[in-house]
Amino acid sequence: MLDFIRKSHGLLGMNARNLEYIRPLNRKKNRELADNKLLCKRTLKKAGLGVPKLIACIRTHDELESFDWTTLPGSFALKPNRGFGGEGILVVYARKKGRPDTWIKADGSTIAIDDIKTHIRNILDGSFSLANIPDIAFFEERLTLLKTFKPYAYKGIPDIRVIVFNRVPVMAMLRLPTQASSGKANLQQGAIGVGIDMATGTTTTAILGKGHIIEYIPGTRLALSGIKIPYWKEVLKMSVVAQEVSGLGFLGADIAIDRERGPVILELNARPGLSIQLANLSGLKDRLKRVSGLKIKTTERGIRVGQNLFGGEIEEAVEELSGKRVIGSVEKVKLIGKDGKEIEVEAKIDTGADSTSIDTELARELGFGSAVEGFKSVIAPEDISPERESEIKKTLFEKHKDSIPDLAGISVVFSSHGASIRPVIKIPFIMDETEVLASCNITDRSSLNYPIIIGRKNLGRFLVDVTK
Amino acid sequence: MLYHPFINFMVEQGVPLQTIALLLMLPVVATMVAFFRQVIGIKAFGIYTPSIITFALIAFDPNGLKYGIAIFISVILVGMISRYILKRFRILYLPRVAMTLSIVSLSILSILVFGGIQHRTGLASVDIFPLLIMITIAEKFVATQIEKGNRMAFILAVETLGISLVGYFLIRWDGLILFVLRFPWVVLLTFVINFSLGKWTGLRIAEYIRFRKIFKYIQ
Repeated sequence: MLDFIRKSHGLLGMNARNLEYIRPLNRKKNRELADNKLLCKRTLKKAGLGVPKLIACIRTHDELESFDWTTLPGSFALKPNRGFGGEGILVVYARKKGRPDTWIKADGSTIAIDDIKTHIRNILDGSFSLANIPDIAFFEERLTLLKTFKPYAYKGIPDIRVIVFNRVPVMAMLRLPTQASSGKANLQQGAIGVGIDMATGTTTTAILGKGHIIEYIPGTRLALSGIKIPYWKEVLKMSVVAQEVSGLGFLGADIAIDRERGPVILELNARPGLSIQLANLSGLKDRLKRVSGLKIKTTERGIRVGQNLFGGEIEEAVEELSGKRVIGSVEKVKLIGKDGKEIEVEAKIDTGADSTSIDTELARELGFGSAVEGFKSVIAPEDISPERESEIKKTLFEKHKDSIPDLAGISVVFSSHGASIRPVIKIPFIMDETEVLASCNITDRSSLNYPIIIGRKNLGRFLVDVTK
Repeated sequence: MLYHPFINFMVEQGVPLQTIALLLMLPVVATMVAFFRQVIGIKAFGIYTPSIITFALIAFDPNGLKYGIAIFISVILVGMISRYILKRFRILYLPRVAMTLSIVSLSILSILVFGGIQHRTGLASVDIFPLLIMITIAEKFVATQIEKGNRMAFILAVETLGISLVGYFLIRWDGLILFVLRFPWVVLLTFVINFSLGKWTGLRIAEYIRFRKIFKYIQ
């Protein structure tokens, strides 16, 4: 029981959200920006952030009567300016063939100008706005579904909710529209919420509706974990910039990814819901506390803090299961030289190479200069061929092992430039807290990007994540 | 001495005891609604609706519970049905609510007449003001339907009724009324309670249930 209460401290409840975050951090003036979609669109656009393009705006009944319907494109979304919960949104996909006054909706049914007019009148009269205050209707471009999300989304467009606090993106979830939510990315209405690892933008755990934990899209074998969100860095950046320009201290930014335009901000939320904690199976309060009070000077720094603090769950899980370390395609390694001298360099992880290869200059710095010099006198045999490889290695090594210090072997390398021989020395290195004693061949890599590549022979204790 | 001298003084000035008792109970009921929201997590339709329904139930007495609940449920049911009927016509909000209210009040009228035919004179002769209060709940209900959907509106209606019933029993509890009339200053305690409720940032009981699945995953 006590344990239960202790654990609950990491969770953010309504009371704490309202009293400690929304009340002091989201002032009325700034909340207005979140509630007024047109104003929000303008402000974000001015800040250089992508938003769905505005097509036209209808403010009064007069404007509605004089509206030129031929200016509308084949597909658009009609929205109430102060709508909430996705109510009152009408999306059409194309004009009906040969009928300039009729459009086709997502479910295949048609809608004529007269019906659209009625819908707009409802919007103008405030049927979809809070407290029914008169509203403005606007047309904006319809976003197109990204291929990555196609199998996962039912009809509508999925979006990504990012909670930003103190310029740090603290938690995120991907919201997938379902049949139950009738194509809306709204959890209250039965959409799917999928937690996201902040570091990598890869999905983790998922819930359906208000709290049913699921692993697959219902009725399919499509796993919800491991979806890689495209433009992840960009999504994080946009949400942090959105916080900066909106002045909302505790912000929920909703970002959709358009097939052509990439990420665009759909809307800002001054009262983000708490279900995101269920989707991530993680407490928000705990994360907010860890970030609060930090002095975040730049957008980039905020993103990095968020990624470092609230990511890596997937990696940890993999490392625990496999007992191997997960590394990226470029890693920092600490090479330990002859007299204990340590040099840290960036290494290319090359699963296509058999063995590890190190630059001549670096080898010298590590104290293997005499080996490099000594090897210069070695004359490569004329006729190197794969059949004779082991024989050459053996004879050359026997011949020179006493005269050249530190020589641990000879390596024969066949490449498009022909065959060559290289000296091999043993150098221990530390990568991702793991020490490996590597047999490195020495070659001139001065014209290449990395002074060392690490090949398969030395990667047995690692897993390579190429996206890292 | 049965009552506090101050109460006696007010009675002497011609304020009915019933009025004094109910006005003193209002802070108690309101505090109870706040407690339900902040600590337990039962939302209901704000604070006005459950409080006023509580007093409407009292006003229906002696058969408050039976008729009050029956009328409340009728209002909600008719409200739901009207929405289905009116939805297809796509009419603007206020005319739609006006029509909903009309349908509800006509239905209640027919229920009263039906009660009369069945010789349930208690039903036919209920007070008009609590009845009107019940009927106007339909607006709150319709507004919630539009904002939060049918399901949520229905849940909130049930929660409202639940809280109102607790409030009803609280006011019907003679011991509490006598206590308040004898020590009227205890009503001031509700300020202290509400102040702490207003600063309370812990999880609500409903949230413990909602987030129970996360606990397994938190170290």
